[in-house]
Amino acid sequence: MPALFILIPLAAVLLVNLPLRRLLTPAAFWLGLLLALAQAAAAVLVPDHAWIAPLGVATRLLRFTPTADLLTRVALLTIGLVGATALMVARAWTADPERRFRFANLALLALAGMNGVALASDLFSLYVFLEVTAVSAFILIAFGGERDALEGTFKYILLSAAASVLILAAVALLFVVAGSVSFGALHDVVPAAGRDPLVAAALVLLLAGLFIKSGIVPFHGWLPDAYSAAPAPASVLLAGIVTKTTGVYILMRAVTAVFTLDATVRALLLAGGTLSVLIGAFAALGQRDMKRMLAYSSISQVGYIILGLGAGSILGVAGALFHFFNHAVFKSLLFVNAAAVEQQAGTRDMDRLGGVAERMPVTGTTSVIGFLSCAGIPPLAGFWSKLVVILALWQAGERGYAAVAVLASLVTIAYFLSMQRRVFFGKLAEGLAGLREANPWLLVPACLLAAVTVGVGVGPWVLDILQLPAGSLP
Amino acid sequence: MTQMLMNLTILLPLAAGLAVFGLRRQRQEGLAAGVTLLVTAVTAAAAARLFGQEALVHHPWGGFGAAYALRLYPFSAFILLCASGFGVLIALFSTAFMKGRRHAAPYYAWFLLTLGMVNGAALADNLILLLVFWEGLLLTLFGMIAVGQPGAFRTAVKAFVISGVADLCMMAGVILTIRLAGTATISAIHLQTGGLASLAFGLLMIGAAAKAGAMPFHSWIPDAAMDAPLPFMALVPAALEKLLGIYFLARVSLDLYQLQPGSRLSTVLMIVGCVTILLAVMMALVQKDYKRLLSFHAISQVGYMILGVGTAVPAGIVGGVFHMINHAMYKSCLFLTGGSVEKQAGTTDLAKLGGLGRAMPVTFACFVVAAASISGVPPFNGFFSKELVYDGALERGMPFYLAALLGSFLTAASFLKLGHAAFVDAPRDVRPAAVREAPWPMLVPMVVIAGLCVLFGVHNALPLRGLVQPALGGRVEGLDFAGWPHGMILVIATVLVLAAALAHHLWGAGRGGSGLAAADHIHHAPAIGTVYAWAERRLLDPYEIGLRLVAAASRALWAVDRAIDFFYDTVIVRLTQGVSALARAAHTGSHALYLVWVLAGLAVMALYVARGGI
Repeated sequence: MPALFILIPLAAVLLVNLPLRRLLTPAAFWLGLLLALAQAAAAVLVPDHAWIAPLGVATRLLRFTPTADLLTRVALLTIGLVGATALMVARAWTADPERRFRFANLALLALAGMNGVALASDLFSLYVFLEVTAVSAFILIAFGGERDALEGTFKYILLSAAASVLILAAVALLFVVAGSVSFGALHDVVPAAGRDPLVAAALVLLLAGLFIKSGIVPFHGWLPDAYSAAPAPASVLLAGIVTKTTGVYILMRAVTAVFTLDATVRALLLAGGTLSVLIGAFAALGQRDMKRMLAYSSISQVGYIILGLGAGSILGVAGALFHFFNHAVFKSLLFVNAAAVEQQAGTRDMDRLGGVAERMPVTGTTSVIGFLSCAGIPPLAGFWSKLVVILALWQAGERGYAAVAVLASLVTIAYFLSMQRRVFFGKLAEGLAGLREANPWLLVPACLLAAVTVGVGVGPWVLDILQLPAGSLP
Repeated sequence: MTQMLMNLTILLPLAAGLAVFGLRRQRQEGLAAGVTLLVTAVTAAAAARLFGQEALVHHPWGGFGAAYALRLYPFSAFILLCASGFGVLIALFSTAFMKGRRHAAPYYAWFLLTLGMVNGAALADNLILLLVFWEGLLLTLFGMIAVGQPGAFRTAVKAFVISGVADLCMMAGVILTIRLAGTATISAIHLQTGGLASLAFGLLMIGAAAKAGAMPFHSWIPDAAMDAPLPFMALVPAALEKLLGIYFLARVSLDLYQLQPGSRLSTVLMIVGCVTILLAVMMALVQKDYKRLLSFHAISQVGYMILGVGTAVPAGIVGGVFHMINHAMYKSCLFLTGGSVEKQAGTTDLAKLGGLGRAMPVTFACFVVAAASISGVPPFNGFFSKELVYDGALERGMPFYLAALLGSFLTAASFLKLGHAAFVDAPRDVRPAAVREAPWPMLVPMVVIAGLCVLFGVHNALPLRGLVQPALGGRVEGLDFAGWPHGMILVIATVLVLAAALAHHLWGAGRGGSGLAAADHIHHAPAIGTVYAWAERRLLDPYEIGLRLVAAASRALWAVDRAIDFFYDTVIVRLTQGVSALARAAHTGSHALYLVWVLAGLAVMALYVARGGI
């Protein structure tokens, strides 16, 4: 059954690119949207026993065994939600059916790649799907063909190439040590390998590669440029899910399924997390470009996820997973809002905006929800996940890191308040007299994601659902 | 039955007061006055019925030793009787005086609440219950002043703040006393002074003395005399607060704590008494307004009571308590004569009055009796109580006696001036021919009280044996102070001083050309005149000094607050901006630099792992 999450998007990509594609041009968008929403629904609704039902044919096609634990299901849900959002934003972003088709095409490919990452049960398949996703992401960033976009893509390709080398080298080293790259085999050998220098080298290489992919400071240089230069729907996809899946998710997998969260791993995670939280937040504070601020904010928030992992406890992993989901939701929401503002006002420069909420009430309101959630204000979703991360750090005895996490929240509030004040509140800026509310294709995902953020925050059962997958980890 | 009546004297006025608050409209004023008169009469009847009995009421209430406990015994019955008596007389006076004034209905409401609270405080046998009533009086004090002249609110706030500060001290004293004694039941507390107990005693003294209006808690009284409705002055500062304050002072220094003659605390009390007598009477001497002059005497006379009780010798204590009831009567009467002058002549400014004696003979007669009483002219009541205080003071030391005697001289001089200026002098602005005698509801209380002043003097065995000595109980067991003073030398000295005051007044009046100017040579004397000028500019008012201190403290705190604000608004913000600018500057957009960062990060991680091993 899990194999279907990979095969169906792949089949869809093939289908829309058949020679008869002229007929299917408009269908690609709807197909992608349908698949993404169906995936999100399936991740929640399909009962547990169906996930392990083997589908012989499908599995043989793949030549590896996709497995889906609860961690995977959270990732699939997130991928579905954000993928659907990105497609809807694309619908509003361009009226040209050809461009829309190409975007949907790439999005479907990215969907297949990310699902593969989520479902992979060995390191090498993981690496392959990572590259599938990355390639579609490169093209998505450069989609518009502007100079900025090309520059952003270039930096992303450059650092991703480094990451690929590092990850591939690590996979090779681990294959040497264990004779296999499946998670099960690695987990039997690697922790027991103890002080083997090969394993140590593999650890450093793998972590560094994944840090680049996740945008952890100081491996994050590509991220602000790529996020802010990409066209609106691409930045939603990229910021919301692509880097999360290809970086953070694999990191979570790797440190739990391959390595163990021992003192060394934790120290590296905590250091990277803290640097990201602080530098991301302070850099965000100084930005004028709305998307750039959101990009630095992403660095900072990913830092929280990594800090949660670094706590090393089940509670910490649960917090990291919870924040992974919440961050995808509220950051996508904020990027959707940024897309709406950019499209209606024609600029992302916060100094030239102002009073936008007056004319764009839905965008203004949902952005407030998104920023409050990101800043960790109760009872929104972001509050709970940050709380769990901070509690986990405290319980693990990492009081200093917990304090940093709390203080950085203040900076988060500061830069988001600054954004809200400059963009949405106050008097309408000059030259915006004709401003109108955005296209419904931007409002629907914004409302949907805001509802998810509020619902997850208000519904206390969510934490239990997310703590279960963490508990199921080895 | 007795218990029911005790509750009635408290709850009936309180309930009626709350009900009268409902009467807002002007035409319901008559109804409010009628209700007040009726309720005060019923309360007075109940108090009279209770007199001579003893009873306890006890209902547990709350925790921490708080209980609704009342105790009727000779002293509280005495206070209850006096308070209720003044209540009914002044209610009668008010019906005529307040007619057609603004805020008449709320005035009556506050009046009734005050009476209920005073009765409650007098009967309370639990310190916490006492505090409840005591603080209730703080509220009614504010209310009664605030319903006066349009500018009275400021004075009401002043009275509230001064009394509030004193009440806070008393609250602290009560807490300390409860802690020391282990009980809140007043009749069960008997402590020795010393150490913490002295502190508690001092705090309670502050509460009691402030309630009675002693210095330095006095300065709202002269202001209230000008701003508050006049019957309030006759009722509260002149009568009820003196009764309550001195009652509590006597209870604290005789029952709760055993004040010993010759102890330091006793000396402190006597000094407070003497200072209050002299400073306040000096101020009274130079006043040019009927009510304001009286108000300073209301302060000055407290000094005699505190001096008397503070001596801690039987003659002094009896004198102090006797002076309390005497003062309540004559000062009430004097304020009522002032009210009748204000109502009939339209002003109390002595520079406009004059020659009213012929137009208002009854008022004048009452004034003469009450003024003679306060000056200590034999055989009026004030003479006998002052003689007892002199006796006690002399036993403790000549300076106290001389201070008290000098106070007497100045009191007599100022009342000679007041009477001369208002009633005898040649008419000034107000034409006596146009002024008529006050209506009967105002005359009756004056005449009754003046009559009692004479009765308590001529037949002083009645109050002394019937009220004061039983009230003080064991402390004066077996002694009898009724009758003519036994120290003939003291009497002669008093008479000589009074004669000197008369001679001084005649000399001064001749020199200044009128009764009003009789004290001008003191007012404008070198040195003293400067001090008077300061006092008139309120430079010596403790409240004003306190306000200036508070203002200075708040300015200092404001500076601290600015500093904290500076830290958060400037230091932190600049720091954050600096770090943010650094972070921004580091991201140059150069892919080469970013690759260098990656390599550096990788190197650090590798070094860390290599050094630590896995």
